[in-house]
Amino acid sequence: MKKQNMFWLLLFAVLVAGGLLLFFSRGHGEGTVAVVSVNGEELERIDLSKVRRAYDLDISTEYGHNTVHVENGAISVTQADCPDQICVAQGKLTGSGIPIICMPHRLVIEIEGGDLDA
Amino acid sequence: MRKTGKLALMALLTAIALTIFVIENQIPAPVPVPGVKLGLANIITLITMKILGKKEAGAVLLVRILMGAVYAGSPSTLLFSAAGGLLAFLVMCLLVGRFGDDQLWIVSALSGIAHNAGQLLACVLVVKTPGVFAYAPILAASGIITGVFTGFAAQYLLRALKKTRIW
Repeated sequence: MKKQNMFWLLLFAVLVAGGLLLFFSRGHGEGTVAVVSVNGEELERIDLSKVRRAYDLDISTEYGHNTVHVENGAISVTQADCPDQICVAQGKLTGSGIPIICMPHRLVIEIEGGDLDA
Repeated sequence: MRKTGKLALMALLTAIALTIFVIENQIPAPVPVPGVKLGLANIITLITMKILGKKEAGAVLLVRILMGAVYAGSPSTLLFSAAGGLLAFLVMCLLVGRFGDDQLWIVSALSGIAHNAGQLLACVLVVKTPGVFAYAPILAASGIITGVFTGFAAQYLLRALKKTRIW
């Protein structure tokens, strides 16, 4: 194999490994305040540590419909009428770091990091 | 190549790309990460650039993205795929001359990163939530993996095509 090819292969391998490592080491952050927004507009702000009984939120906008399940310490999308269903497959969000995204509906759910009392 | 022949070939390539794009859209996402996809239609963009040229590849890509949104996507995903496609195309144009026919996988991997970067940037601009950048590392990784894969596919296809006398 050419030297140049070897260089690129190694570079790509390092980038892939680094990327995966970086991504999977995130998402376990502190924080309990979940923010639900569509198209950059904040719709709901919920302190998940204070949720006593689980409930469903219906998020219906011009882009589509999502059912957001809110429970103590976790938030997830349980239903969506988007074609890819990636937001549903992402499962429960329990800590800050990696937000849930439904790209076709421009929906983002993230848990804010940091101290609750701050 | 005659003008009509070229036009017919471009139409054929666009149809193939569109078909691949629509079929790929039917396959459920392998991992629950927004933006991760195989990008098999990229094979046609690479091939078009190699056998016809940059301008022609750009035209095929543009028509494929627009018609792909009509057939498979939604208006709001058009923006993301257009942003990704454009950035990937620019990187491809810059690099394709610097690498040989047997190094298309390198060009493809780098344009794969560019595609996902463009898509992520468009997404962050739209939803105005910088937290979405948390997906950057895994999107870079997936851009490389799928880019290498489609790049090799294009390479082998190009080798096979060169034995024919299509153009």
